[in-house]
Amino acid sequence: MGAAMSVWEVVLRSVAVLAAFLVLPLLVGFMEHKVMAHMQARLGPMYAGGFHGWAQLIADAAKFVQKDDLLPTAADKGVFRLAPSLALIPYLVALAVVPLSPSIVGADAPASAVVVLAATAVGVLGGLMAGWASANKYSLLGGLRSAAQLIAYELPMVLAVASVALAAGTLSLTGIATEWRPWWLLWQLPAAFVFLAGGCAEIQRPPFDMPLADSEIVFGPYTEYSGLRFALFLLAEYAGIVLMSLLMSVMFLGAWHGPWSGPLGWLWTILKAVPIAFLFLWFRNSWPRLREDQLQRFAWLVLVPLALVQLLITAVGVVMMR
Amino acid sequence: MSERGFLPGVFKGLGITMKTMARPAVTHEYPDARPDLPPRSRGVIALVEENCTSCMLCARECPDWCIYIEGHKETIPATTPGGRERQRNVLDRFAIDYALCMYCGICVEVCPFDALYWSPQFEYAEFDIQDLLHEKERLGQWVQTVPVPPALDERAPDAAEVVSANKPPRVPRPAAAAGDATGAVSAAGEAPVRRERPAGGDRPARAERPAPEAAAGAPTDATTDAATPATRDAEPAAPPEPPEPAVPAEPPVAPEEETS
Amino acid sequence: MTALDVALVGFGLLALAGALLAVTTRHIVHAALWLVVALGSLAGVYLVLGAEIVALVQLLVYVGAIVVLVLFALMVTRSPIGPSRDHATSPAHRGVAAVIAAGLVALLLAVLLPIAGSGAVTRQVTSNRALGADLFGTWAWPFELLSLLLLASLVAALAIARSRAVTGKEDA
Repeated sequence: MGAAMSVWEVVLRSVAVLAAFLVLPLLVGFMEHKVMAHMQARLGPMYAGGFHGWAQLIADAAKFVQKDDLLPTAADKGVFRLAPSLALIPYLVALAVVPLSPSIVGADAPASAVVVLAATAVGVLGGLMAGWASANKYSLLGGLRSAAQLIAYELPMVLAVASVALAAGTLSLTGIATEWRPWWLLWQLPAAFVFLAGGCAEIQRPPFDMPLADSEIVFGPYTEYSGLRFALFLLAEYAGIVLMSLLMSVMFLGAWHGPWSGPLGWLWTILKAVPIAFLFLWFRNSWPRLREDQLQRFAWLVLVPLALVQLLITAVGVVMMR
Repeated sequence: MSERGFLPGVFKGLGITMKTMARPAVTHEYPDARPDLPPRSRGVIALVEENCTSCMLCARECPDWCIYIEGHKETIPATTPGGRERQRNVLDRFAIDYALCMYCGICVEVCPFDALYWSPQFEYAEFDIQDLLHEKERLGQWVQTVPVPPALDERAPDAAEVVSANKPPRVPRPAAAAGDATGAVSAAGEAPVRRERPAGGDRPARAERPAPEAAAGAPTDATTDAATPATRDAEPAAPPEPPEPAVPAEPPVAPEEETS
Repeated sequence: MTALDVALVGFGLLALAGALLAVTTRHIVHAALWLVVALGSLAGVYLVLGAEIVALVQLLVYVGAIVVLVLFALMVTRSPIGPSRDHATSPAHRGVAAVIAAGLVALLLAVLLPIAGSGAVTRQVTSNRALGADLFGTWAWPFELLSLLLLASLVAALAIARSRAVTGKEDA
């Protein structure tokens, strides 16, 4: 990877990935504004930009930039400042290896599925650092919860990815999507469920938002953040939705498989990711937050056994098809 | 986590939000479209200055003490030579601090002279909280926005005013009837006719009512009025009428209630 | 000197600095974060040498799970912001530790330097398939032994946690 690319190609790909990284989370964020509003019989933003408030998030960003960048006196300054970037950048790295079509991919790594898992695992460190460095008991509680949640949900997610990787015989996302067949929808259904739940927990979206829980521990690790740093955390959350939706699309829904998949493959990948992103928003609006013990029970007593059983099913399938 | 009934509830929740999303939103796009407020909306309290007698009832009943009333006494010279001078209250200041007001409406309820009304007008936000103290000029402007009171429900009892106006005049007691037996008879004969009159139909409006002086010729009417000095309409029973016809007379307790 | 050389030396120095800071810092949570730097740089070294999957697993397991666990433990217990000498060791203790560490370094250098050679760094890409075959073929028994070790520690941790819960009940 990378060795055969010219400098210009590297720059072009980086810029493209960065653009996608900045635009797609905004689209998801706007979708959340609107979907949430209509699920609550409201209209949502209607003014910014004219047509149905399409520029609301840009206006929000302008607002965040103007806000004061507060720094708690007792905070650990360096760690506090570093945390938002550490929460955001891993998602950028992960997005770079997700293919939209066999040819459209930021960087085609041979083990891109593992790259994605490693990146998201590192990303959670940002939340932990923020939680500890804020010198705030709510933040510390949030940090603790997010650490416990990460440890619990990392395992079933890795197992779910292992299942599809085993089925496809490769660790590359491009390879997995190429090998995908429609009947995998049924074969890998438990893994898809585990990955969806695990992904939801990994990016700390409701109903797995115990670490943030704005109504009880006032946004946990983000309590002390304001202005641009808080915006970075928000962007990381939406980038997380984008990443998880695209991964679901690539690994479990066959990415670019579909009519006219040659020229329009990338469109298929995105079209399949949109309903998944909608699912994340739908869950948030429909379900209450899980309690900490329910969260752990769900991970260890439902998701992990389910993922192990799925791994077994996949192994049997692979051996039988050989 | 109760295992039973877990899954159905989860899907029920999803169904509810999806159903809500399919329905149109209930939002009123306020600055673009006027909200359709319910009748009797409590937007702001309007003051009909002419009706106010500075009796201070509203200011004293206000739980927040947000009504400020200032006034002074004016002496009205006697209208007839050798007559008694009269005093009346003049309202100098009537202000409501809407930063304090909690919109309970007690002032509107207690006002005995219909000087305070609820208006649905609500667009009087200010940038400074001190600007929410509105004087009587501003309160008076809101009178124009006071809606016509909603019609009574079908088969509802008549308003108290209508009922009292349609009451037959009380038959004077023999001792109070100035010793005229014919007057008593005539009043008794008139009563059934009045009772059959439709409510509010051809009854003269309050302003058009014959003045007590005009009715003084009939001794029965005079005694009836004298027997009930504080009628609901608060029309003066005593002969000297204040010069301004628009201002009702003082309530019986008014002179002692003078403000600073 | 090739770019690979530079990258390797850079990551190596970063790992060394991170490791040194992790053991010398007075901020206990910073120690865990410097450990992240050291382990991450080590992953970088693996990446430079072409062992992509090892580098990623290093990140996933060590940074994503073990350091998170360490941070979790630090947060559950006391984790003051700012320098603290609560966990400082005595000079004698430190001296012994330094001697042992020096001995370990000498031993490793003695073993590794002769086979290191003097040529430029070369990148030997191992395919994931070959790595998997090696891991679960040639090295299956050590791998299983390792998992047995982890299982034993898991059972031991459970036993400790359970026994404490029982005594706690008796106390109450």
